[in-house]
Amino acid sequence: MHDFDMYFKAFNETVYMTLISTIITFVFGLVLGVLLYVTSAKGLKPNKQVYAFLSAITSIGRSIPFLILIVLLLPFTRFIIGTILGPSAALPALIIGAIPFYARLVELALLEKGKTLSETGVSFGATNTTIITRIMIPESKASLIRGITVTSIAIVGYTSIAGAIGAGGLGNLAYLYGYARNRQDVTIIATLLIIALILLIQLIGDLIVKRFTPN
Amino acid sequence: MITLKHVYKQFDISKKRHIKALNDVSLTIQDNTIHGIIGLSGAGKSTLIRTLNQLETHDEGEISVFGYQDIKRLNKESTRMLRRRMGMIFQSFNLLESKTVLNNILFPIRVQRKLHQADYQKAYDIINDVGLKGYASSYPHQLSGGQKQRVGIARALINDPEILLCDEPTSALDPLTTKQILALIKRLKHKHHLTVVLVTHDMHVIKAVCDEVTVMHEGMPVESGTIDNILFNPTHPITKELVQLIGFNMHDVAKKINKPGLVMSLKFPKHLTGESLISTCINKLDVEINILFANVTPNTEGIMLINVNGSEQNQVKPYLEKQGVVIKDA
Repeated sequence: MHDFDMYFKAFNETVYMTLISTIITFVFGLVLGVLLYVTSAKGLKPNKQVYAFLSAITSIGRSIPFLILIVLLLPFTRFIIGTILGPSAALPALIIGAIPFYARLVELALLEKGKTLSETGVSFGATNTTIITRIMIPESKASLIRGITVTSIAIVGYTSIAGAIGAGGLGNLAYLYGYARNRQDVTIIATLLIIALILLIQLIGDLIVKRFTPN
Repeated sequence: MITLKHVYKQFDISKKRHIKALNDVSLTIQDNTIHGIIGLSGAGKSTLIRTLNQLETHDEGEISVFGYQDIKRLNKESTRMLRRRMGMIFQSFNLLESKTVLNNILFPIRVQRKLHQADYQKAYDIINDVGLKGYASSYPHQLSGGQKQRVGIARALINDPEILLCDEPTSALDPLTTKQILALIKRLKHKHHLTVVLVTHDMHVIKAVCDEVTVMHEGMPVESGTIDNILFNPTHPITKELVQLIGFNMHDVAKKINKPGLVMSLKFPKHLTGESLISTCINKLDVEINILFANVTPNTEGIMLINVNGSEQNQVKPYLEKQGVVIKDA
């Protein structure tokens, strides 16, 4: 029973970290991704300087190893959350790590049908805002959802790394009990739970894509 | 009327390589005609049509539409208003895959304002008109290519445009569907009094619907005229090759002919097509006439290449001209 409580708590913490980070990443990643698309050479309002700047931030954000990102962000986390321990303290690093990742996927998704769709909108006399919000994003729904699914699964992976240095969750469990106290069974169960969570996220993602794809 | 005066457009491929897509284009497109623009790949025809609604802005020159002296100088809002007075259809149809046929067609209105009941009625009328009755709630991926282009046409017409721009509208369609779509464009042009600008690389398309033709080559219009005149009297080498492709190869035939006597091209205006002018000519004059080539233009003018031989061969030309036949020495 004690074991069950332990797994339950850890699972909940992982779900909590993943869910909150996914939601916030979705919003900010979408905004950054749209900005990347709009300012890119093939976008609606190409702007070399702005694109170079945004693109550099995105690439740098993606290239910092997650463990190092957590450490780098410690002062910021303490300032925002008030502590550097527990699931909530993992959120800033998870979100800042995931936004650039998702933003690139958004940019790619929009570029895929970009030119034809934006030109169609322009030929109707639509404004750029309308083209983005009423044409580009709705028409790319499926790719955008697949992107956030992949991002969310990556976030699950990040939570385990965060867990190992005190964020709680399944990663913490596997590290503290499984590795430090040499309990192989805990590691295996934690792993199985992570796999189950990832499969669940993939399933939900696929279902949403299916709902949004006309047939 | 659409007028282009000395229009230039250049694309920079790299710092050193530039392409002159439009190289001093001057052109007039009359109201209420179907004006075809034909040329080989890279001739600048697509760029030309795209400058008309400013999907591309021209570098130099003036394009005047709807009485605006140069549409490049309109502000953003006026440019949008201009675009709403022109419908456009595309080679790849460019439908919104996540929306139904009805919502695709209503979309150009929806980007401007809230929909009214009357808009739905209008959309259903257009759906019936383009032959898509019963497909209003279908999605684009459930339609054939021809049906998709019908949706494209319906969508282009929902704002009651005065001009319809067609950028290779049938290049992705099979020949039979092409014929149907072109017939639809022609019918809608009459019904809605549209000025249609149609870009294509297919001379069959030009022959099937166009009243006027402009041949583009390397960014320049090299020849312009009515379809009948272009077929009868192509002057530029590219035009000659293009008209050959659709069976008007009399220039080739004329070149190969190696017989005594005269060789001449004739064009019979519409009112003469019922007369037996050639046989009367043979009866009246001491000549033999050998018909080397004959075909009929889209406006049912007859075009013929003949070889005339005999003691009165020089009187054939004045005789036929008197009857109203247009004659050109080949």
